[in-house]
Amino acid sequence: MKTLERIRQAVERRPSELIEARARGEKVLGYFCCYIPEEIIDALGLIPVRLGRGGDETLVDLGARYVSTNNCVFIRESVGLFADGKDPYVQNSDFVAVAGTCIQMFRLSELVKYYFKPEVVALGVPRNFYLPEGRVFFRHEMADFVRQVEAMTGRTLEPGRLSESIELYRQIREAILELYARQSRDASPISWRDIFDVVQAGFYLDRRQYLSLLKDLLTEVESVGETAKPNNRPRIFVSGSILAPGDTKIIDLIEQLGGRIVVDDLCTGLRFHKELMVHDHSLDGLADAYLDRIPCASLPCLLPLDEDKRFTTMVQLAKEHRAEGMIYHTLRFCDPFTFKANATMKYMQEKLGVPFLEIHTEYSPSDVEALRTRVESFIDVIYMQREEKEAAAC
Amino acid sequence: MGAFAGVDIGSVAAKAVIMNDRDILSHAVVPTRVSSERSGRMALEQALEKANLRSDDVRFTVATGYGRIVAPFANGTTTEITCHAMGAYYLNPKVRTVLDIGGQDCKAIRVGERGQVVNFVLNDKCAAGTGRFLEVVAKVFEVEVAELGQLCNTATERVPVSSTCTIFAESECISLMARGEKPENIVAGVHYSVGRRVAGLLSRVGVESELAFTGGVGKNVGMQSVVGELLGIAPIGLPGDPQLVGAIGAAIIAKGRAARG
Repeated sequence: MKTLERIRQAVERRPSELIEARARGEKVLGYFCCYIPEEIIDALGLIPVRLGRGGDETLVDLGARYVSTNNCVFIRESVGLFADGKDPYVQNSDFVAVAGTCIQMFRLSELVKYYFKPEVVALGVPRNFYLPEGRVFFRHEMADFVRQVEAMTGRTLEPGRLSESIELYRQIREAILELYARQSRDASPISWRDIFDVVQAGFYLDRRQYLSLLKDLLTEVESVGETAKPNNRPRIFVSGSILAPGDTKIIDLIEQLGGRIVVDDLCTGLRFHKELMVHDHSLDGLADAYLDRIPCASLPCLLPLDEDKRFTTMVQLAKEHRAEGMIYHTLRFCDPFTFKANATMKYMQEKLGVPFLEIHTEYSPSDVEALRTRVESFIDVIYMQREEKEAAAC
Repeated sequence: MGAFAGVDIGSVAAKAVIMNDRDILSHAVVPTRVSSERSGRMALEQALEKANLRSDDVRFTVATGYGRIVAPFANGTTTEITCHAMGAYYLNPKVRTVLDIGGQDCKAIRVGERGQVVNFVLNDKCAAGTGRFLEVVAKVFEVEVAELGQLCNTATERVPVSSTCTIFAESECISLMARGEKPENIVAGVHYSVGRRVAGLLSRVGVESELAFTGGVGKNVGMQSVVGELLGIAPIGLPGDPQLVGAIGAAIIAKGRAARG
């Protein structure tokens, strides 16, 4: 796909574009966590960039000098990015914003402020997000976030601009969701991996250029139509802890062993865009919309699972994309997703009867062979299930 | 007709099994030394010799175990999880749960009504709960690994061994001996410690009758009693050597693949 190549090249050019932009007086706000509303950043005339990378052991070790070795590797590597001073996006961030969705993420904001960058703003995210009190809190937090960013950057938020930004992002999301719908079709010319990479390209590219590229991609996908050969490999749903840009160990392995990923609900993938509908173009409306989407597992939900949007969405996505199994990836020390692994397994088996594999790992290549055995066996299990179904049907 | 071969190249031993359409014709077990490939080859050659066959009499060979990636003599590979389920089911079609305690890992497998894998969990991050642990302990007490089970069953009491790490448990056993505890009682404590770990692993997939032990440690009568005690369900014995179950499963899979062409 030509557009995929154009997107890839645009990402390669982006760091130098940011340097040039900053030389012209523009400012970049780098942020962590999908609860930070890009709409606000864009409306303030700032350039939003989503920070954070995974999969690099050296950066993890570097980060450990500032944090500890007994915590999430993504946080450790993110600290490592600041300490290393070579990540172009971190280096080109004039300001940093962190959402305190996950407790370790919150700690990241403390560390960054203390050791590396003075200009850090934190956005509090309520644990009681499904209660009215949580809503009120988040609306206040959002307004406060804006005040802090305005003070930090010397800009003022205008309602008209906010409305424009909200519309821009609505269109971006619509395009991404359409691409997700297409990639899981039997004979799609684009793969889940292509779209996952496209979502991540959207962390960096100029958002208006990005929207234009997304539209071009959709047009190209339409024009190519269905390919000659349907892809009948075992259809796998990837869920769990963050798969940050650069952390491709698991998805590479799944593909290598003949699995076909058809959907995810990762915060660096589908969950970043799905279910975010801003009904009212105001700060309150934005706050409500962000709180109403599929929640991150780091926000403990005490509702019964059938009322927990994260769980019900998993089932709905699995059905929609005809997933035959779920691979649930948990990072070491990632409590939010590890705690609920068992519950997720039981829920998926109860609702769908699909096989489930938890892969507990960190950013080291040392366990690749052990993971290979598990993923290979899991793919075997799916094939065996198919045979069972065929046999039962006869 | 035709012969099919399964070669299970583990961390401690390479096992080969040759089957025809229905029966096991021969088997061989060779210690895995430095070269997984060589031990695999040797096991296969020895099994062929015992069955009075040549290598071109074998229509398909499947390699399994962690050494399967260095088995160029095999026509295909598959994971040991699938092989242990299939092999145990072949030996007793009532098997629904398999516990494989191998040289350096431990697996709990739920088996379906046709010998297929329904669910599995494995522990290969550390040596606790594996054959390696028992090997280390056997060395401390200067007995053969094969004698450990019987030694365990002569114990008059169980001396708790608290260390979960193999290395530290080794030191703990030595200290306990120095303190005057009887070797068989310490060994009983060690078996209990391993038993608790594997029972924990099994509970993650759930145990459904019948439960079978496979892998080298399946020969250990002490482990059989302990696991039976901890789970409240006695493992059924499988005919033959439990260490061969993986290779048997691999041979059955080889037969299936040959049929599919």
